[in-house]
Amino acid sequence: MTRFLATTAIATVLAGSAFAVELTVGAANVTGFIDPGRDHSNVGSQFYYNSFDTLVEKNYDKLQGEFRPGLATEWTLVEPTVMELKLRQGVTFHNGEAMTADDVVFSLNRMYQATFPPYQVRARDRLANFDKAEKIDDYTVRIHAKREEPLWETLLNLQQVMIIPEDYTKGLTGDPKVAENDDFEAFSLKPVGTGPYAITQLVPGETLVWERFDGFWGEKAPLDKVTVKHMPETASRITALKTGEADLVTNIAPDQLSLIESDPALKAAGSATALFHVMIMNANHPVLKDPRIRQAMSLAVDRDTLNEALWLGKAIVPASHTMEEFGELYMPELKTFEYNPEKAKQLLQEAGYKGEEIVYTSFPTYYTNGLLAAQAIVEMWKEVGINGKVNVVDKWNGGDADMMARNWSNPMYFADPFGSFGVMWAPKGPSESEGRFNTDAAYAEAWERFRFSKDVEARKAAYAELMERISQDPPVLPLYRPFESWAMNKNVNWAPKPGHIPYVLDFRAGSISFASN
Amino acid sequence: MLRHITRTLFKMVVTLFVIVTLVFFATRLSGDPIDYVVGQGITQEDRDLLTRYYGLDASIWEQYVRFLGSFIDGQFGLSFVERRPVAEIVAERIWPSLQLLLSGVSLTILVAVPLGILAAIHRSNWIGSTVMTIAFVGYAVPNFVLAIFMVLVFAFTLNWLPVVGNSTPWHFIMPTITLAGALIAALTRFTRNAMLDVLSQDFMRTARAKGLSEAVVILKHGFSNASITILSVLGLQIAGLAAAGNVVVEAIFAWPGIGDLLVNAAILRDFPVLQFAVLAVAFAVIIVNGLIDIAYAYADPRIRLGRA
Repeated sequence: MTRFLATTAIATVLAGSAFAVELTVGAANVTGFIDPGRDHSNVGSQFYYNSFDTLVEKNYDKLQGEFRPGLATEWTLVEPTVMELKLRQGVTFHNGEAMTADDVVFSLNRMYQATFPPYQVRARDRLANFDKAEKIDDYTVRIHAKREEPLWETLLNLQQVMIIPEDYTKGLTGDPKVAENDDFEAFSLKPVGTGPYAITQLVPGETLVWERFDGFWGEKAPLDKVTVKHMPETASRITALKTGEADLVTNIAPDQLSLIESDPALKAAGSATALFHVMIMNANHPVLKDPRIRQAMSLAVDRDTLNEALWLGKAIVPASHTMEEFGELYMPELKTFEYNPEKAKQLLQEAGYKGEEIVYTSFPTYYTNGLLAAQAIVEMWKEVGINGKVNVVDKWNGGDADMMARNWSNPMYFADPFGSFGVMWAPKGPSESEGRFNTDAAYAEAWERFRFSKDVEARKAAYAELMERISQDPPVLPLYRPFESWAMNKNVNWAPKPGHIPYVLDFRAGSISFASN
Repeated sequence: MLRHITRTLFKMVVTLFVIVTLVFFATRLSGDPIDYVVGQGITQEDRDLLTRYYGLDASIWEQYVRFLGSFIDGQFGLSFVERRPVAEIVAERIWPSLQLLLSGVSLTILVAVPLGILAAIHRSNWIGSTVMTIAFVGYAVPNFVLAIFMVLVFAFTLNWLPVVGNSTPWHFIMPTITLAGALIAALTRFTRNAMLDVLSQDFMRTARAKGLSEAVVILKHGFSNASITILSVLGLQIAGLAAAGNVVVEAIFAWPGIGDLLVNAAILRDFPVLQFAVLAVAFAVIIVNGLIDIAYAYADPRIRLGRA
């Protein structure tokens, strides 16, 4: 049991004594592997930022992107599609190797020119516009895009293009001069980065240990050691916090918050996560082919009531598929989705809906409140005359032709509508590919303008067009941004930073401190 | 005796084979691992790519044969998530589960057998009825209720016991009691009934008539005859305990064992791990049952001496 928070010890620790500052985190989920390139899960995203760096950093204290030097100290567009980056000198990987242009080129090209299937998947959905990276000298690299790229910084700040060491990775298995699939697989169990904490132990799914990396190029890590332990049961996580077995615990549902708040030794920090819980509807199901029926299914849902009842009003109900994190691309003025039961009834009548059963499939537990929301939605449908039924299955059926409606989530993989709506609803993207969403030439054309226009206003106009299409022929209804909380000992000062993607456990300097009471 | 052991071993192998086959096909019905290992919502092109990469493009029979083949090299295949041999992953997790199982079974025997004997001897007075009432209640309370109740009282409120992990002996107390709870209740009742059967036998009267002390009569003549029934019940009960009990207990107490691994593997559809974890549990159950079978033979001279 790591009980570091003897209150009196804290002041001493901060005064720079020899006491080790250790933190134990009780996590609902611990990742099975650590590879920033292939991972885009909510479980994994917790673990990368402490141990890995991107070329372009961001001020994560701010909700909206303010980019700043990371492993690259400056970057300039030398041609319309070529970015030249000067690399930071004196950067060392956790294994002691110095970082040079070779490592950067290797890390980028493992994604841009991916041959390892899990990388290929991630490269296609967000990095498709990048051709290659090349070394100019030991501390200069150039990145070639296929087309002019309006999102350079955003896409160089991605978890997927965090920098890993070339020689170390290639040397893990087989031929030490060649990057084989098995090298990347081996890396994911013995990860090495340049961040302020080295991962010194990884028992997949069970334990992850970070220790301060003294060779870190930036401000040194405030904690000597962090142990993240898998504690799947919420009641046990909260109890572990009370018994001192954990100092910080993850994934506290809103209805558990009162337990934390009523205890003077504990506190909670939370935020409306940058991801939408959504309801998807199959545009190609025979019963739902008429868009008016799907519009009615969407208009019937009183999302504010869901928020009040399930999230104590702490979730955020969006007017469109948009988030404040998108900065200039945040478009709350779009009213893509609304609650209008009268209109729903009218549309059902116009569409000649005859009471066919509409099945809403829900995972039993995967999404917090997901099943409760499903039951409530079906009741709301009933109010407007939709004959709905909840089907609880622990199996993804989003690609099944007979899927009618179900719950899903649309995370913000990076702070741009391309990183949220864009990943899931692009032409030929996952949703269309699963056969439940259709696009045409006009949609694709608007998409191109949204994705590649260099002018923000042009991007916004194109996104508004896409949202109008979604509103007229809806495949999705974003329900809300769920409110996610962490609980901790009163002496720990930590909160999720607004500039991160969801769930990042950021323990870098300036992100965590301790009250001396 | 040798014939009995050989027959037991043969039964064990057949049972394992049936379980292996069932588990293999049952997991295949639970969804496409690509949706869970990689995440929901990928393009068909990517799905095809990953399906090939994870070797899921082969026909189900080919996969089955490959799966059986993985027993021969002793690696039991590669985890979809971790891409390392399943044997290595399970090896990390099996010991904590076995420790818990052993401590649970030991506690059960230490508590249930004396209680059962006591209840049999005092069958017609308040001691007997008190023991049986407790056993009845214990049997009726599901283990997750008992676990959460103990967590609430001994950790959350009183802060006497740690609640997560297995790092100190203190950590064993609540998980062991949770695991043993229902089993103690069941075994107490069986011990009592078995003892009552024996106590009414003629040879007990003979033993007393010979002038033996009551303790010798009860323990040597009574219990050693009742133990055959008790052992067979214990063997059956442990099966349920190891399979279902561990999953619940390990989730609640964040015990880093097979139960926890099994749940994760099921959620992620990590078939190779799931298959082998189920198999490992089945194997443990079969081994324990086999040992009990042999102990049963040893306890029963008719079997031991081959006169059955």
